[in-house]
Order: sequence, then structure tokens, then C-alpha cells
Amino acid sequence: MKRKLISALLALTMVISMTACGGGSGASGDSGSGDAAADDGGAAADAGTDAAADSGAGQEDAAPVEGGSADENTLTVWTWDPNFNIYAIQKAAEIYAQDHEGFKVEVSEVQSDDIETRLTTAVAAGDLSTLPDIFLMQDNSFQKYATNYPDIFTDLTSSGIDFSQFSSAKVAYSTLDGKNYGIPFDNGAVINCMRTDYLEEAGFTIDDFTDITWSDYMEKAKVVLEKTGQPILTSQAGSPDLIMMMLQSCGSSLFNEDGSVNIAGNEELKQMMDIYVQMVADGTLVEVTDWDQYIASLNNGTAVSALNGCWIMASITVAEDQSGKWAITNMPKLDGVSNATNYSNNGGSSWAISSNCQKVDLAIDFMNSTFAGSNALYDDVISKGALATWAPAGESEAYNESVEFFGNDAIYAKIVEFATHTPSNITGAYYYDARDAVGVALSNICQQGADIDSEIQTAQETVEFNMGG
Amino acid sequence: MSGSSKKGLTLQEKHGLTGWVFLTPAVLLICWTSFYPMIQAFILSLKTGMGVNLSFSGFSNYTRILKDPTFKQTLFNTFFYLIIQVPVMLVLALILASLLNNKQLRFKGLFRTCIFLPCATSLVSYAMIFRSLFANDGFVNTVLRGFGMNPIMWFANAWTARAVIIIALIWRWTGYNMVFYLSGLQNIEYSVYEAARIDGASPLQTFFKITVPLLKPTILLTTITSTNGTLQLFDESLNLTNGGPGKSTMTMSHYIYNTSFVQSPNFGYAAAMSIIILILVAILAILQMKVGDER
Repeated sequence: MKRKLISALLALTMVISMTACGGGSGASGDSGSGDAAADDGGAAADAGTDAAADSGAGQEDAAPVEGGSADENTLTVWTWDPNFNIYAIQKAAEIYAQDHEGFKVEVSEVQSDDIETRLTTAVAAGDLSTLPDIFLMQDNSFQKYATNYPDIFTDLTSSGIDFSQFSSAKVAYSTLDGKNYGIPFDNGAVINCMRTDYLEEAGFTIDDFTDITWSDYMEKAKVVLEKTGQPILTSQAGSPDLIMMMLQSCGSSLFNEDGSVNIAGNEELKQMMDIYVQMVADGTLVEVTDWDQYIASLNNGTAVSALNGCWIMASITVAEDQSGKWAITNMPKLDGVSNATNYSNNGGSSWAISSNCQKVDLAIDFMNSTFAGSNALYDDVISKGALATWAPAGESEAYNESVEFFGNDAIYAKIVEFATHTPSNITGAYYYDARDAVGVALSNICQQGADIDSEIQTAQETVEFNMGG
Repeated sequence: MSGSSKKGLTLQEKHGLTGWVFLTPAVLLICWTSFYPMIQAFILSLKTGMGVNLSFSGFSNYTRILKDPTFKQTLFNTFFYLIIQVPVMLVLALILASLLNNKQLRFKGLFRTCIFLPCATSLVSYAMIFRSLFANDGFVNTVLRGFGMNPIMWFANAWTARAVIIIALIWRWTGYNMVFYLSGLQNIEYSVYEAARIDGASPLQTFFKITVPLLKPTILLTTITSTNGTLQLFDESLNLTNGGPGKSTMTMSHYIYNTSFVQSPNFGYAAAMSIIILILVAILAILQMKVGDER
């Protein structure tokens, strides 16, 4: 009897713990991904992830609005970051409402990877009715979703939106098989933000870092380290952000045109890995544990510069006491690579209209008159650091204003110009698989002293394995 | 006899039926919320394809697991945590429980609460706190520097990163298991201990000859639940180290999550891996019950 009782108890606890674990891991996975978005900022690489981290904590109680709105003139939107994307869509709605009485958007703040998880879940459950009318998606994720779940998007190819007014590299992210699924929004042109006071101490000016090559950059970085004691760059350990930026700067990708993996035998990639590893060995590039520490290193002066998408400005300008001590220039380019440029891209996102949208005409007209047709909108959101990829916006007056924080330079016009020179890259459905594999290789090489060639080979095999199933 | 069959059921049958009526709602709920998804997961594990366009492919996902170096790595990591963390934690919990069971001890309630308290913290927040404690310029390294030692880059090396996860797990779960032991100890008559003391048994002898044998069912229970929990470890891997450096601290559940939501989704393969975890948990539980329950 006693034995029976014990086994019954055991069975019961196992059942309870299993169901409890099931429920528990689901919930914690949810909240976990929000946090991961914050510290994984590099990987997420979206416009202003940092601000997203700040705002993310306070809004857990508000469940996002699911599905469309009953009101004829209201569109529902999922996006993240109150200071950036949410601000922009609300501003757009305001502008649109001037000509369209009663128009409103109902915005729910959802972190970018939560949007992705929600989309995946909705498709897996076969119930798309939970999707909002409009949602924002990371450019890097766009191909993954367009390939796996084309059913969630409204095809915008013949919607009347003039995609030729956007930079072609940007439009390419949301285009699959000649079909346009997204309206490009912000720009992730890579900028090299440098502390001019440190440079001066080392005997340099910002011009010494403009239009240079990586070998030149690495030599100067050593001088800066010697004179100021600070590393020129900091990077989140295991994050392949820097490598991905270098790769795109010479128009190279982790995939070939035909979709096959281009990691092993990619000469540019190997050269970049060498640069990264050498800089870590020199002490001119210091790896930090997470995204928060990366931002801290910029704000508390333990890094001389930040090389990242232009949305990083939002985090740099937080340190108001450093006003006037920063300057912006382009990134170094690779030596001896024929297509190498001083320009690249990191992050940025595009708007999509879901297939669940019942008011497609309204949604398209709204997008066409704002994000694809309003100078007023882009002139306004530039104050938040959201740079347009819509070409006519770059000619506006607002883009020529000088910014005191960056030494009274007309940085916006500069960044828009950088963006026009940026080569395109191939993302594809397996972009994150490849990116992760490169990140793993990088961290094994830097932190565990593994051999570069064999790690690159392993990365190639990992991605091929993932694509094989 | 015909009379009793007209009346319907015998008393015993009635009792049996009442029992089943009470059991039915729970059984149905468990079937619906636990077993039905498990069967669905198994069916899913036999399918393959892009996104939701899945088709049956037999056991190809299972043969694929055998060829997956990442799965082997995560399997190794998970079993490494299991083999180091579970024994250390359970021994610690047992020691703490028998210390706190002492009738002469003052502020017992306070100590018990303090040791149990980590259990009340959220998995995500404690993982993030541990990450900042062990950061390059975090509290632990500050203390190390204070003692004149070199700071350790905890998350830069596979073994130190694994150590951090194990330390975090022990901190989080020791108190939880201690409570099981404490309640088990309440069921041991205090007179047994008194008799042992009168007979001249040392505290160590009392511990090994009385406490451990009498607590055996509880020890078995905590071993099984801890094993189960460790094999499904997820939050710490994701939030504390994010699997890094490389994939050297990634657990199986974390890899399953990545396969479904981070990488290009492959739900069939992810389901196959979760079925493997289920089988592993079941095998280990059966082994432990065979070893632990000798009657």
C-alpha cells in the first residue's frame, strides 16, 4: 500500500512539474525574449534598440490589440519603441488625418522579436485573424518571413506606391521573387562616431579617419590606445555585427545569388575575421559582455568611437555633457578588395500590411501619402534620428541643419549621402542561421583561440545542415 | 444473485465508480492539456518543410538529430549541468535541512525563509542579475580585485561560463529542495534521534544511519524533479549567457527554441528534439526509481 502511495505521489509530482514547466517555460520565454531584445540589441540591430529596452519594462501589462478595428477609419499597428517607430507612425497618422477627417491609428507597442514570435504563432495555429492591419519588421528578418510565410503579407507590387523613390538596396530587403511586401522606413547607414577630444589627445583629427582603409585604421588605433589608454572600439562579445557591416561594405554576403552558403572560401570574410582577431589581440577592440555594457562604454568614455548603424546616435546623444565632443565620418574600407567601399548598413526596418487587413485601400493610401510621400513627416521624425530611405526627403531643408552635439556638422545630409553609396547584400530566409554561425565562429576564435579556417568551415557546415532539413 | 443484479452495482463497485467519477475531470484535463499536445508534437516531428507547408517525411527528423553536431554539443552541456549541479545541490539542501531541523537553533524561521527566498524570484530577472554580477566589471570581479587577484572574464571561457550557470542554478534551487527535506524530516520521530544520542551515536552517524535512509523517498522525489528540470533548462541558458561563448553553454531546450523562432523555422525538427528530451527524462526517471526504491 505504502509503495503504491509513493508511486502515485511520484507520478502526480511528475505530471504537475511537467505541466508547470510547460506553462512556466512558455511564459518566461515570452518575457525572456523581450529582455533578449534589449541585450541582444546588436543582433536585433534595429533602429534604437536601446530606447526599446528602456520602454519595454513598463508596458508588460498592456496586451497588444489583435486583429483589425471595427471603426472604418482606424488602422491597428504593431511596432516597437515609443521614441522612434511609434512616434513616427503617430506623426504620420496626424499628417494623414489633416486631409482625412477622423482617421486614426491604434498603436500597440510590441518588441520586434515578439512581433516575429506572434506572426509565427499565428501562422502555425492557422489563425491570421489576430494580426493587426500594419506591422513593422526588421529588414534582416523580412526575407525569412516572406519565404516561409508569404500568406501573412499583402502584396504591394501594384498598389500604386512608387518604390523607385526609395533606395534600391533598401527595397530589396522586402522584395521576394519580384513582389514588394514592404514599405521601406528607416535607414541604418553605418556611421563612425568618434570622440574628437580623444583624437586630439592622440594627435589626430576626424579627417584622419575619413575615407581610410582598415590597415590604416588599425595603425592609428594603436596610437590612440597608446596616447589615451582607451580602445578605439568596443563590441558585444559573440556578436557578428561588425563583421556583417564590413562584409556588406564590399557588397559581399554570407549567401551567393543562387542562395547557397558563402562562408567557407569567402576571402573577404576571412580577411575581416583576421582584422577583428588582430584588433582584439592589440587591445584596440575590447569585447564587453552585453548590449548594456556596450552602450555604457560609449557613454562613460571607455571607448573612443562607435561603428554602427546611424540609430546608435540616439544612445550617444544621451550623454549631454559630451556635446560637441563627437564627430561623424564614414567607416574604413577593406584593403585589396575590388568592390570595397567606405559605406555599409546595419539595421533598419520596413512597414508591412498584413493579409488580415480588411481596409487594404485605406492602409495603402495612408502609407502612400505619408511614408512614401510626405516631406513633412520625414522632416519631423529626423529629430528622433529616423533617417529616410525615401529619396525626396533627403533634399529637404531639415536635413541640412547643423547639429551642435556633433560639432555643428550637417550630419543628416552626410548620412543620407552615405546611404546612397551603400552596396546591397543578400539576406534570404537563412540569414539569422548564417549570422549566428559566424558569431559562434568569431567567439570561438577570439575567446577560445580556435583556428580560423576550421571555424569558418564549421560555420559553413552548420548553415548547410540547417538548410538541409 | 438476480436480486443484486437488479439493484445494479455492489457496494464495492459503487465505491469504485465514485472514485472514477472524481478522477474523470482531472484525467480529462491532463489528457487534453498534456497528452494531446504530446501526441500532436509527435505527429509534427514526423513532418518536414518550410514554414507551415509541412509534409510527412517519416523518421527523417530523428535520423537528422544523429548527424547534428549542435544537438550533440547541447546534449553534452545539459548533461554536464545535470551531473555536476544536481548532486551538489541535493547534498547542500540535505545538509542545510538537517542543520535547520535542530530544535535548539534560534531564528530558525528567518534562516529557512532566507534560504528559500531565491525561489521566489523570477527566472529571467535572477539570470540577468547573475549576468551583471559576473560581468567583466561586475561585482564578483570587483571583489576579486579587492583581494589582489586577477579578474576573470567569466563569459569568455566555456568552462567558467558553465560554472556561472551552475552557481546560479544552485543558488536558485537549493532552498526549494531544502523545503522538501525539511518536511520529510518532520515525519521522522524526534525520539529516534534522542535514542541515537543516548546510544552514543555521533552527529555524522545519525545523519547517515537515520536521516538519509528515512528520507529516501523524498530524496528520490527531489532527484527526479531536479533531473527533469535540468534537462528542460532554458531561461538561464537564454538570459544568463545566451548560449555563449559560441554554443558552449546552450541547453537542448534553448536550441529547440532557436530552431523554431530564431533561425529559419523548422518546427518538425524542433518537435523531434523535444520528443528526444521526453524520452531521456522518462529513461532517467525509471532508472532512478529502480535504483532508489528497493522494496
